[in-house]
Amino acid sequence: MLKDITFGQYYESNSLLHRTDPRAKIVLMILLIVFIFLAKNLFALLFATACVGCIALISRVPFRLYIKNMKAILPVLIFTAVINLFYGDGGRILLEVWKLRITTGGIYNSVFMALRIVLLIFMSSVLTYTTTPNDLTDAIESLLSPLKFVGLKGAVHTLAMMMTIALRFIPTLIEEAEKIMNAQKARGADLESGGLVDRVKALIPILIPLLISSVRRAYELAEAMECRCYNGGEGKTRMKQMHLSNTDFLVSAAAIIMCAGIIILNILL
Amino acid sequence: MNDAVKNVSFDINQGEIIGIIGHTGSGKSTLVQHLNGLLKPTEGTVLFENEDIWKNAKEIRKIRSKIGLVFQYPEYQLFEETVFADIAFGPKNMGLSGEELENCVTETASLIGIKEEYLQKSPFDLSGGEKRRVAIAGVMAMRPKVIVFDEPTAGLDPRGREEVMKIISDYRTATNATVIIISHSMEDMAALADRIIVMNKGELVLFDTPEKVFASAEALREIGLDVPIVTRVFAGLRAMGVAVSPNVFTVSQAVEALVQLKEGAADA
Repeated sequence: MLKDITFGQYYESNSLLHRTDPRAKIVLMILLIVFIFLAKNLFALLFATACVGCIALISRVPFRLYIKNMKAILPVLIFTAVINLFYGDGGRILLEVWKLRITTGGIYNSVFMALRIVLLIFMSSVLTYTTTPNDLTDAIESLLSPLKFVGLKGAVHTLAMMMTIALRFIPTLIEEAEKIMNAQKARGADLESGGLVDRVKALIPILIPLLISSVRRAYELAEAMECRCYNGGEGKTRMKQMHLSNTDFLVSAAAIIMCAGIIILNILL
Repeated sequence: MNDAVKNVSFDINQGEIIGIIGHTGSGKSTLVQHLNGLLKPTEGTVLFENEDIWKNAKEIRKIRSKIGLVFQYPEYQLFEETVFADIAFGPKNMGLSGEELENCVTETASLIGIKEEYLQKSPFDLSGGEKRRVAIAGVMAMRPKVIVFDEPTAGLDPRGREEVMKIISDYRTATNATVIIISHSMEDMAALADRIIVMNKGELVLFDTPEKVFASAEALREIGLDVPIVTRVFAGLRAMGVAVSPNVFTVSQAVEALVQLKEGAADA
């Protein structure tokens, strides 16, 4: 049950996108998402959809994994689509009930919005499927490093370290939570029935031991890190250095062509 | 599909002490989680007092109070503000309240040797061994007819281990409950268990008295287990030509055997 939570959902493969520098991937993903939102008309958005489809194909990640991510946000998707259905102006009126009216413009709006969200999720899924969590945090640290010039010297490294540790401990905590749940069930705890209030109350015997054990783990980890002379990011060298290579320029060029395509279609049509 | 546990079939009598031994990953913990219905067998049944425990799936919580399960490192499941409240968690879930609940908790505490003044302390202020005892008390307070321990002495110092083993045998004397213990300590098993279940790769390979189980030292070693240290020492003695019995599994048995040997030598 708890194991279904996917996090750090890296998919092992050796595609072009897997080999791309994670820093480049983050920057390009943000860029593409911005441009997807800049797409004004249906043609530009369809062009973006085609491009995102290509990117997903190049990633060599099975399509069902993308669909799985899509399922998780399905409620949000439906909600947005339904709300937008009533906000369209223009077009023929198809249905009118009380003060609500559905027009062709509304349907257009709703499809447009939904497609945008789908593309957004696809893009971020591409990033998380093709990049290991550790690479991601390293890349974020590297990208945020200019902040040290504005007086945030240690903060960037600390933040990246916190993210790394948090990601590392998610599976551990899930395992721990399962153990504690079983132990409390063995003592007759009822986690499955009752109303909302009862269910929330039933979580206390699980959350408190979990909290205590994470604090204990934090102390242990801090001690272990100190024993290995950890003193923050200062003077830290890396075994795996990140370098921009030809692949990164190739991928960047492709992304820029995509952005340009969206702008051109925006203007022309 | 891989079966975590298969070909496991055994009967346990009321009041017996059963030991379960097996290498890491042999399915011991999975097996015991089936006994109180935390896991549902995909095939086969678990019978308690001649009734399938899953006969009425909604009543499975009642089964869990009759068949207690103490997990590994049970002290990590403590959560209440006081020792008293934590021990009371199980009985409260069974529906006890008021005076009945209070009596149940104080009785359990005295049975286990938790002092009265400790009951109002926070369980998090106690030492490791004391926490473990409180956690075990939390399960014993439900007065289960069968109580299962998953490595109850793991991570304790020798004194703590002795105390925990004493609690277990005290509980049994007081309630005549059936006790099932998973352990890595062959010494504890030899001293305590009436019968021993040997697990290997998810299957039950042996179910017999300690004498018979430890007699097949070779087979045990093959699956990553061993016989008690004294048994090994006596096997060494026999190999050197000393006439001692091969059926020595505990230190007290060893002392007896050596005394006999010495008297025999004196007589001759």
